[in-house]
Amino acid sequence: MSVITKTSQPAVYNDSVVRGFAIMSVIYGVVGMLVGVIIAAQLTWPELNMGIEWLSYGRLRPLHTNAVIFAFGGSVLFATSYYVVQRTCHTPLFGNKLAWFTFWGWNLVIVSAVITLPLGITTSKEYAELEWPIDILIAVVWVAYAIVFFGTVGIRKVRHIYVANWFFGAYIIAVALLHIVNSAAIPVSMTKSYSAYAGVQDAMVQWWYGHNAVGFFLTAAFLGMMYYFIPKQAERPVYSYRLSIVHFWALIFTYMWAGPHHLHYTALPDWTQSVGMVFSLILLAPSWGGMINGIMTLSGAWHKLRDDPILRFLIVSLSFYGMSTFEGPMMSIKTVNALSHYTDWTVGHVHSGALGWVGLVSMGSLYYLIPRLFGQKKMYSVPAIELHFWTATIGIVLYIAAMWIAGVMQGLMWRSVNPDGSLTYTFVESVKATFPFYVIRLLGGLLYLGGMIVMLWNVIMTVRQGRAEDVPVASVNPAHA
Amino acid sequence: MARQGGDAPAAPDATGWLGEHRGPLTVTDNFAVLDDPVEQREFTEIQETDGVSMAESVLMVQGMYCAACADTVENALQHHPGVERAQVHAATRRLTVRWDPAKTRMSSLAQAVGATGYRLLPLQQALSISERLRETRQALWRLFVAGFCGMQVMMYAWPAYITEPGEIPADIDQLLRWASWVLSLPVVFFASGPFFSSAWRDLRHGRIGMDTPVSIGILVTFVVSSAATFDPTGPWGYEVWFDSLTMFVFFLLGGRYLEHKARDRTAGALDSLMNRLPEVCERQTAAGGFEAVSIRRLVVGDVVRVQAGQAFPGDGDVLSERATVDEALLTGESRPVTRERGQAVVAGSYNLGGPVLMRVDRLGRDTRFAQIVSLMEKASTEKPRLAILADRIAAPFLVAVLIGAGFAGFYWWQIDPSKALAVAVAVLIVTCPCALSLATPAAMLTSAGALARRGILVRRLQAFETLAGITAVVFDKTGTLTHDRLTLGSIQTRPGLAEDAALTLAGALAGGSLHPVSRALAAARDARGLSNEPLSLSDAEEVAGQGMQARQADGSWVRLGSAAFCSVPAAAGTEQADDAPRVHLADAHGWVATFELEEGLREDAKEAVVALRRLGVQTWLLSGDREAAAQRVAQAVGVDHVIAGASPERKLTEVTTLQAQGFKLAMVGDGLNDGPVLARADTSFALGHAAPLAQAQSDYVIQGGRVMDVVLSLEQARATMRIVRQNLAWAAIYNFVSIPLALLGYMPPWAAGLGMAASSLLVIGNALRLSSRLPATDSDDNTPFGAPVSA
Amino acid sequence: MDVLYLLIPVSIVLVFVIIGIFWWALQSGQFDNIEREGERILRGD
Repeated sequence: MSVITKTSQPAVYNDSVVRGFAIMSVIYGVVGMLVGVIIAAQLTWPELNMGIEWLSYGRLRPLHTNAVIFAFGGSVLFATSYYVVQRTCHTPLFGNKLAWFTFWGWNLVIVSAVITLPLGITTSKEYAELEWPIDILIAVVWVAYAIVFFGTVGIRKVRHIYVANWFFGAYIIAVALLHIVNSAAIPVSMTKSYSAYAGVQDAMVQWWYGHNAVGFFLTAAFLGMMYYFIPKQAERPVYSYRLSIVHFWALIFTYMWAGPHHLHYTALPDWTQSVGMVFSLILLAPSWGGMINGIMTLSGAWHKLRDDPILRFLIVSLSFYGMSTFEGPMMSIKTVNALSHYTDWTVGHVHSGALGWVGLVSMGSLYYLIPRLFGQKKMYSVPAIELHFWTATIGIVLYIAAMWIAGVMQGLMWRSVNPDGSLTYTFVESVKATFPFYVIRLLGGLLYLGGMIVMLWNVIMTVRQGRAEDVPVASVNPAHA
Repeated sequence: MARQGGDAPAAPDATGWLGEHRGPLTVTDNFAVLDDPVEQREFTEIQETDGVSMAESVLMVQGMYCAACADTVENALQHHPGVERAQVHAATRRLTVRWDPAKTRMSSLAQAVGATGYRLLPLQQALSISERLRETRQALWRLFVAGFCGMQVMMYAWPAYITEPGEIPADIDQLLRWASWVLSLPVVFFASGPFFSSAWRDLRHGRIGMDTPVSIGILVTFVVSSAATFDPTGPWGYEVWFDSLTMFVFFLLGGRYLEHKARDRTAGALDSLMNRLPEVCERQTAAGGFEAVSIRRLVVGDVVRVQAGQAFPGDGDVLSERATVDEALLTGESRPVTRERGQAVVAGSYNLGGPVLMRVDRLGRDTRFAQIVSLMEKASTEKPRLAILADRIAAPFLVAVLIGAGFAGFYWWQIDPSKALAVAVAVLIVTCPCALSLATPAAMLTSAGALARRGILVRRLQAFETLAGITAVVFDKTGTLTHDRLTLGSIQTRPGLAEDAALTLAGALAGGSLHPVSRALAAARDARGLSNEPLSLSDAEEVAGQGMQARQADGSWVRLGSAAFCSVPAAAGTEQADDAPRVHLADAHGWVATFELEEGLREDAKEAVVALRRLGVQTWLLSGDREAAAQRVAQAVGVDHVIAGASPERKLTEVTTLQAQGFKLAMVGDGLNDGPVLARADTSFALGHAAPLAQAQSDYVIQGGRVMDVVLSLEQARATMRIVRQNLAWAAIYNFVSIPLALLGYMPPWAAGLGMAASSLLVIGNALRLSSRLPATDSDDNTPFGAPVSA
Repeated sequence: MDVLYLLIPVSIVLVFVIIGIFWWALQSGQFDNIEREGERILRGD
């Protein structure tokens, strides 16, 4: 464990915590994706429940979502935000012990999830399934995270706060607010609580939380990651730094009200749904601003994509980001939503964002980060990165294509009426029709998981041949401070 | 002799039937510091004309917010004793004032201006831009508040648009109105501040300004919407307009902000230059160590250590072995350049290599880049003719707008009261005389900035209009179409003597002489890598107009110079006696060698003449040199007409004659000797870096020495005038179309705000096209400088 | 839709907080000299 030194020796960055989170994120990635593959298999062949309650789909699904979003995604964010904030502020982390607390605390949250969710202990609120004791732990860890992060920004040696840190900071604050409001509950036992809200009010709050979780946890935070690792890997500055700042401010204030688009054609009042729709559409512009900024960073250096698979991960992730942030607003239009709601198209949309954007940008960033954390210039095997890239990309394409087709088909089948007004198809007929697409989706997921396993192997080999070294804090040229 | 005691500021005259426009500030400063000679030096230049010393100062006017402010400041100064001329450029807020130090003091001028509500600030050229920074920040801050609150208000307003009355439960509807009201407060009471304060000042003095209609619109809308919020069942309760209100404040502020930034970009190109100078420098102490000092405390003669990546704080010579320098700032080329010990480096260029020691020779406003900054500041102050015209139209127009809004409101009240308010507000907001006022300055400033980045400096914006209309270009010869340097051509030597030996000897004699012939010989010697040891010559002496002589080690003399001086026949050593410049070397034994020198033609001269012809412009060569030499150059370059052997008086007459024949002509010279002729021509160019900028009489200074830049400038000028005409036409059409629409009730208030801002933005955007039409230079950064400093 | 009595005031407070943060950023010079900041991360380290 590196200690922040006082006087005579030059200070070193606190990379041990970063190392811990980085390694765990790869492990959790494999775990979360494995659970995903299992539940995909179960949807295809329900016998795979095997009559064991802990392995039933209903219980494993939230385990999957929590594992990939909070365990994998969360760990990557902890790792990269701690790494980026130190280096852009030219100072080691504020509160070394607190940073370690966030590491152990977060892992404890995840372990708790792994135990409680298969046991059926759940609030049943999407992405907020964990029960109240764990919620409290999350809140405590999060407060510690905020202190470490903002404290580091506070003791920075450079006046300007790099744009990535704004994204990280916004996500930390937003998640704190969202979590506290949405998880408000009245406990009745150690493992059971009732939401402070009821009925459609609860739905509104839930999806205010849910969409902003996507918006801040899965989008803004990873944009922060992107704004650091793409320039570093491409060795070029962000295409328009000014645009990145404008895009940040535009994004945060538009995201807050897109929530209702999850509740079209429900008991939520019509006009509330419309507000959500309009703001979801408006959201398109700031989202794409970020995408363009990131991709154009390569302007004049496109040839680098040919030889550098890490850069490819990062840039392709932005294309999926652009695609998802176009698809999302489209799906929030009521007419479109009338077809897509409750179908697998929604699942396809989620996964194009999750596998395409979040997954690939995390992988690219980790491939940059991990060698450097262990005193290496590159990963143990660059061909393995190539292999990972291709399996992941093909996996994504199979997954989302399958889900699009399945989703549209389901929507059309469900709404199809006979001349006498009766439904043309029974529900089970649509399920049978979906079967082949579930197989394809499973295949896509397997490929994606396979790629992640290759990554795990590559990481283990890199760590074994590397050494954890102390990196001195870069001094700031006084003329440029 | 300066008058004792402060002058009582002259009371501003009431001009126009509505009285004087005032500034927003209450100025109680003691301006004594402006009289301090050291301070004053920073922004003032003393010029001698006919034996009288006049001072010309450039200052910034704080508190200006529209074109009318410029008039107020000018009036305050024009009538002040001792002031010959005062001119303020609204777009850049620069004041240029020509005043007599014997009759008044700077402090009293500042007090006079202070009495009208504005503050004069000295332009701290190379040292601080915090004033501009603060103003930009304020503008951005207001814009953000308006935009952010506006977005949320728009969201709360949306449900009302998409629902039938009664669909939203009354209590929720009320909640939404209250929320909108709360969020509109910062917009109305903070973000809109500038509009209200300027309208209020105008009102106090019975004058209508550009912000008057806007302020009325905002206030009316807010008051009525507040009434609707507090009393939903009352007479106004049916509708709230918080969304329109916040949106058009946002658009208005957005337009102003972009205007602000566009205006800053010209002077702002300078800001980015100023940002390059380090604030803290390492100065060598007497003991040999280094101390950190502020750049302001450096003096000429200081030795400074410049770190890698830092910019040089002043002009000076390199003391270290060598330095690798990025002079893209000067030359437009981003290739690193090596400067050896003793060679010059320039303030603002970057040190790319390791730490370099330099001795400072010129600082602050004496540095080359400060001179350029000064030139550009002055240029942006002067108002072109069209801008003055536009401003005159704007004033009565505004009065008409207010009357029109009143009538429209009254009229609609009879027909459909619910529409009356919307129509009146729309009329107030949609009209935009600002587009008209911006049309000319925006385009000209953008072009001036674009040209500056290419190394072409524009001293007066009006010169764009003149240049666009020229039909003839008159070139000087030496230093304009040809390089101002001579180069060595051929060498003939006495039998048995090698060329190199002769050149070494000649070079040694030429020594440090600055005569063009000497420099050519020395340059040729260095180019051949020959030794530059003094060769033990003594008693070296330069005889003006004749040559150089010195004694050799053995006591015999050696001479370098004209044929007569060297006592050799004029045609010595050459085949034919023609007019090529020639210099001879002779010693005690007689003729040693003859060096033929050449006037190099500028590489792009021919191309430039061809291009001018294609643009429909005729070309003349007007030279004081001999017929044969002039003809030789004329043939090589291809000008249409040649006039040779012209004395300065004759040059003046020729130019006048051409003008009488109906030509509008541009004169291109080297800026040194052509003063009167340059002044007489309709517009003029000084080519090359030799021209000392402070005394340049020409409208354009081409630092890069590229003749093609004349063509470039002409094309840019024509494009500028095209854009100006487009802008003026647009401003007219926009008002012509939008006002009737608003009067007839076809324009909702939010559309009015959008239209108003869009029209300003369009004008600015159109003007911005001018900055990208010039072909790129080698570098990708700001490059307002042109030629390499001659080594 | 009573939950709006919670969500709307929360959002108003949030708006003012965000405005405050923007004000701080502006005053502390975060938006000055933007052009060079993008390049800064590529130096050193």
